[in-house]
Amino acid sequence: MSKEHVVETDVLVIGGGLAGCFAAIKAKEQGVDVTLVDKGYVSKSGSSIWPHTYSVFNPEWGHKLDDWMDHINTGGEYLNNRVWTEIIFKESYARYQDLVSYGVEFRKDENGKLYRWKMAPQRACESLEFHIVAGERRAKSLILRKQALKSGVKIMDRIMITDLLQQDGRVIGVVGFSIDSGDLYIFKAKATVISAGAAAFKPSGWPISELTGDGMAMAYRANAELLGCEFIDTHNTWAENPAYGFPAIMRASPGRLLNAEGEELKLYPGRLRSYSLNVEFEAHAGRLPLIWEVDADSKVAGLKDRRLPVVGGSVGGMAVHTAEGIWPINTKCGTTLPGLYAAGDSCGTRQVCAVYSGVGFAFAGASVTGTRAGLSAAEYASQTEKPTIDEKDLARLKKVTLEPFERKGGFSPKWVIQVLQNILFPYYILYIKHGDRLKATLTLVEFLKDHLVPKLIAKDLHELRLAHETKNMVLNAEMRLRSSLFRTESRGCHYREDYPRRDDPNWLAWVKLKEEKGKMKLWKEPIPNEWWPDLSKPYEERYPVRFPGE
Amino acid sequence: MTIERIDNELCNGCGICVNSCPTDVIRMDKENKKAIIKYPDDCMLCLICVVDCPTKAITVTPEKTSPLMVSWG
Ligand SMILES: Cc1cc2nc3c(=O)[nH]c(=O)nc-3n(C[C@H](O)[C@H](O)[C@H](O)COP(=O)(O)OP(=O)(O)OC[C@H]3O[C@@H](n4cnc5c(N)ncnc54)[C@H](O)[C@@H]3O)c2cc1C
Repeated sequence: MSKEHVVETDVLVIGGGLAGCFAAIKAKEQGVDVTLVDKGYVSKSGSSIWPHTYSVFNPEWGHKLDDWMDHINTGGEYLNNRVWTEIIFKESYARYQDLVSYGVEFRKDENGKLYRWKMAPQRACESLEFHIVAGERRAKSLILRKQALKSGVKIMDRIMITDLLQQDGRVIGVVGFSIDSGDLYIFKAKATVISAGAAAFKPSGWPISELTGDGMAMAYRANAELLGCEFIDTHNTWAENPAYGFPAIMRASPGRLLNAEGEELKLYPGRLRSYSLNVEFEAHAGRLPLIWEVDADSKVAGLKDRRLPVVGGSVGGMAVHTAEGIWPINTKCGTTLPGLYAAGDSCGTRQVCAVYSGVGFAFAGASVTGTRAGLSAAEYASQTEKPTIDEKDLARLKKVTLEPFERKGGFSPKWVIQVLQNILFPYYILYIKHGDRLKATLTLVEFLKDHLVPKLIAKDLHELRLAHETKNMVLNAEMRLRSSLFRTESRGCHYREDYPRRDDPNWLAWVKLKEEKGKMKLWKEPIPNEWWPDLSKPYEERYPVRFPGE
Repeated sequence: MTIERIDNELCNGCGICVNSCPTDVIRMDKENKKAIIKYPDDCMLCLICVVDCPTKAITVTPEKTSPLMVSWG
């Protein structure tokens, strides 16, 4: 480690995906100083480079709010946060217009009209598309970076943020280090936005290895409330080259999913193949391999007539986007910690919730929460005094940041990650869950946390970043396992073999968590009664999707 | 294997791929002023470097093997 830099700013934004770029641009437009920092390169790193859909609600296009709300409420099995679902719908058109004004191009049909498509024939919601051409994907991502720079946002790339600085509970900045120079960075900020993306475990089949839940983990360590860690994303990948899953899926083509007995797996009503647990159910029943039989008339080069073996769990335990995250205490993206705001995948708005009920919502949501967090952070910053840093807290966090570098002996992050993945990835832990297995896994993950993480070593700066990512992933694993154990029912993508039914109204509730006296405390937060499904209706009507064993 | 090669002849040393890689696999060789594959284990086959390279110097293949699991390390 060489130098130490102190950066002062009104608003600090951690993570420059779509949410972070929106937060930075909107805050800057309010006339405050804004610094946007990323451990990668703003607008290259993060999920935001990938989406090709963006859902826009617009009454002028004939959309009806009630229909859209109904789609999400029932599809998400009633646990979405309706306040946020509605905000995101209503503000998606304005954010779409922002994107267009920045220069993002949306796909047009052959007549030059905006290409809009329905997510399922019987459903109301629609989405817009970006072109899925790689070159345009690159252009889209750089547009936001350029817009941020044009607005006067200060961008700092390749700086890994490790922890939040606090003063009497208020968040007043962060500590991090440059992965190139090794210099230590202390950011002093009047307001801080966490938009550091999703929490995953460097999965085998999805391009999200940089999204290690750092934002959620640092918020947890600073004592923020989080929620929703039990709902796991169910995308699939190809078994042939699982790590190449996403590029391969981009070339995928219409077809049918067959199990080993040649039976076609029917899609759940209103859901897409990859948005349900049916692949995992087939695995559990021993009907592997699964084959995606591409339609004979496929026009996709190289895939015609191909039979592609499919494997589940490609995201390796990442949550349904925004089902989990830092708990937003109000509609301004504020958190339980003064001075801290959350946006995008790091913010638990639960806009869709227990299962993906459509596409394009996550990306639209990231632009909406990014905007709200940016505006709120700017407002807070202009009303508050410059913080003074508590030297003891700073010294502690500096030590924590550099520890793996200075430790003489211990375990490499690479190996601890491998151990964690071997524990978590098999389908029977986070997909087909059972209390006994969850408890056993939790015991192992706690051992990692208590015994291996405190002995992580880094031989260079790349490994120092990996060491912090590892520590965060282990903490996020604990959140997933504990939340999954706590919810003693099945719902959406959360399936408990030992509790295979939805339990209304007992579990019309969210699972929240926070740190208390060094332990993870979980509790149940009931959703408002007016959001309940009609309990006089038979169970099968409330929930058209059946779980095995219920 | 994942990210396989950065062609030294084709690489013009612009450094774009270093920024394009979300997982810090590629670094600049300070002496030769060329991009090198420094941490191949962390390649996630996202292909962003391949798309971004102005001289098409980077080869990424679909296969990825994981290291053998050992009892500690
Ligand atoms: C393959 C794929 C396809 C998708 N397709 C769609 C789709 O079609 N439609 C849709 O709506 N959604 C889609 N999504 C989801 C969507 O991409 C996300 O919901 C959205 O992009 C989240 O944006 P974000 O700004 O919150 O986070 P991200 O874009 O993930 O950005 C997070 C940023 O934070 C940075 N960061 C993380 N930790 C730190 C740290 N410790 N210090 C500094 N910086 C840090 C990261 O480097 C990254 O740049 C897809 C996601 C993936 C992965």
